[in-house]
Amino acid sequence: MTASQTEPAPHSKSRFSTVLPYLLVAPPILMVFGLIFFPALQSTLRTLTDAETGAFSLARYEMFFADKTSVTSLIFTIQIALESLLGLFVICFPLALYLRFNTSRIATGVQMISLLPMFVPGIMSAYALIRFVRGRGLFETLIYQVSPLLADAYYSPYVKPEGIVIGLIWEAIPFTVLILLAGLRQLDNGLIESAQDIGANRWYIFTRIILPLMRRSILIAFCLNFISMFGAYTIPYLLGPAAPQTMGVLMQRTLQDYQQPLEAETQAVITFLICSLVGLVYVQSVSGERVRKG
Amino acid sequence: MSTLSLHQIRKQFGDVVAVHEMNLHVNHGEFLCILGPSGCGKSTALRMIAGFEEPTAGDIRIDDRSIGMLPPNKRPTAMVFQKYTLWPHMRVYENIAFGLRLHGFSRKDIDEKVKGALELVGLPAYGKRFPSQLSGGEQQRIALARALVLQPKILLLDEPFSNLDALLRVRLREELRRIQRQVNITAIFVTHDQEEALSLADRIAVMNKGRIEQLDHPSRIYEQPQTLFVADFIGVMNLLPAHQDGGEIIIGSYRMPVPSGNEYSGDVTLAVRPEDLAIVPSGSDAAWNGQVEHVIDLGHYRKVLVRTEHMGVLKVYLPKAVDVREATTLALQPTRYTIFRDHQTPIEVHAGSVPQLSLQGMA
Repeated sequence: MTASQTEPAPHSKSRFSTVLPYLLVAPPILMVFGLIFFPALQSTLRTLTDAETGAFSLARYEMFFADKTSVTSLIFTIQIALESLLGLFVICFPLALYLRFNTSRIATGVQMISLLPMFVPGIMSAYALIRFVRGRGLFETLIYQVSPLLADAYYSPYVKPEGIVIGLIWEAIPFTVLILLAGLRQLDNGLIESAQDIGANRWYIFTRIILPLMRRSILIAFCLNFISMFGAYTIPYLLGPAAPQTMGVLMQRTLQDYQQPLEAETQAVITFLICSLVGLVYVQSVSGERVRKG
Repeated sequence: MSTLSLHQIRKQFGDVVAVHEMNLHVNHGEFLCILGPSGCGKSTALRMIAGFEEPTAGDIRIDDRSIGMLPPNKRPTAMVFQKYTLWPHMRVYENIAFGLRLHGFSRKDIDEKVKGALELVGLPAYGKRFPSQLSGGEQQRIALARALVLQPKILLLDEPFSNLDALLRVRLREELRRIQRQVNITAIFVTHDQEEALSLADRIAVMNKGRIEQLDHPSRIYEQPQTLFVADFIGVMNLLPAHQDGGEIIIGSYRMPVPSGNEYSGDVTLAVRPEDLAIVPSGSDAAWNGQVEHVIDLGHYRKVLVRTEHMGVLKVYLPKAVDVREATTLALQPTRYTIFRDHQTPIEVHAGSVPQLSLQGMA
């Protein structure tokens, strides 16, 4: 055998190394296309087509936006998602800051507790919250032990919009704390100390240094939580009011209770489009940051 | 006038004492280097002055006013850090102007001061750039401008050039010295690089295990080390374990006299600089004989490693004119040495005239 016969051709080897990454990512991409994009595209096309003539039509969307219940549900869902996000950041940012700049044992314990909801299934946490916050629930009973007068004034958030907000915040705390903490841990102490050194107090350090440098982590937490909260079903179904309903609950009721699959499909496409839009903002911002960093 | 005084400063982390009762006085306009190996407490001392670490005990005074209780943002100090700590989301101009804005300067004053600071560090056209568009050296110059623009009383520098390459380090240290003299500011520079300290400082505080071992002028630190640690840490030194018997030092079969009044009996360490070892004609009395093991060409001089019978390998610096080859036998004699008892109490000995071999004879 000659040397050229024993050695593999460099050309074929380099071709294999070029193809290998595509082969590795092919299964998940195919799954995403098969299970998400293809059905989404099919649904979108169906909602844009007249069922009888097969011609292009916006009738279903006109119907959706003409229906007061549907529009109320859409606005209600956006409102719930934004309120929950606001509450989430109000709770998680101080928590993440505390965990980042504190190395005591108490901080380790607080971090473990803050991650706890991640290991509790959604339905269990929903029922736990119901038992806790409902009228004559654990919370009211505890208040009653302190002062019966206070217990009388207790306003239960159960089957009210506040119930959904509390539930969604509870579910999202671990994930948000992890994202914000990861972002904060990337900040070099020197960046904060140099600001302190030239005269910045805590407020200026937070608003002028930490917040701008945390932009990416905040955006990730905002977008991913918004998408998850906008499409949430279990918490709004179990803790929310009968009306108005969030889009998740509305879709399920339209499909199961009212037996209107095409209307449910239109609601799903609108939900999908809003979530995609938020996803697009996130992707664009992340890729823009990569370009800026070169 | 801006002076800094540390009185009995101590810092303890749990059971570990990072800085033992430290006393230090830095005069106005003085450039003081705190030099020591990693973990000796030099950065901790600097961070206590800046306010990032709270002393366990002691007092820090600037212009005779105690600042120990003030938070970092209230202290009249400014620090340049080891890492490039420019805020990446702000342009260079904003980085420098940030402190001025916090101190309530008007827009016009800010503009003037920022431009002045940029000119001072030699980067007048860099205001619109982002830190990511600057090299390491440029970033540290901007960090220096950011610290100086607030006209602090004390400038603190925590190994600011350690992340830069050797050539740039030399250039920047010269520039730093020029700027410090120009603005006449009191500066404290922490480094583990002895060359940096020797070339920059008016005075050097050599630290070891949380204590200042010697505080002196660079030339005296080099020539008259007060402890065995300083002798070993600064420059290159041959440290030779020996025994003193009354008025005589004994190393193997060699005997050397000790100046009168320094009689002692016990183990000592002899410290000899490589440049203080002279080549003498073979057969000289008290000559240390050895064989050249390795010759390292260091540009304008040679470092020669000579293996001796009783003292191990000696380091000797020779001019390039002396042509020494490996395996040659050399006779050496110290022209100057220091004797250390118990790692301290140095006794400096000038051996007087040593019959050196003429360079022509070796060449």
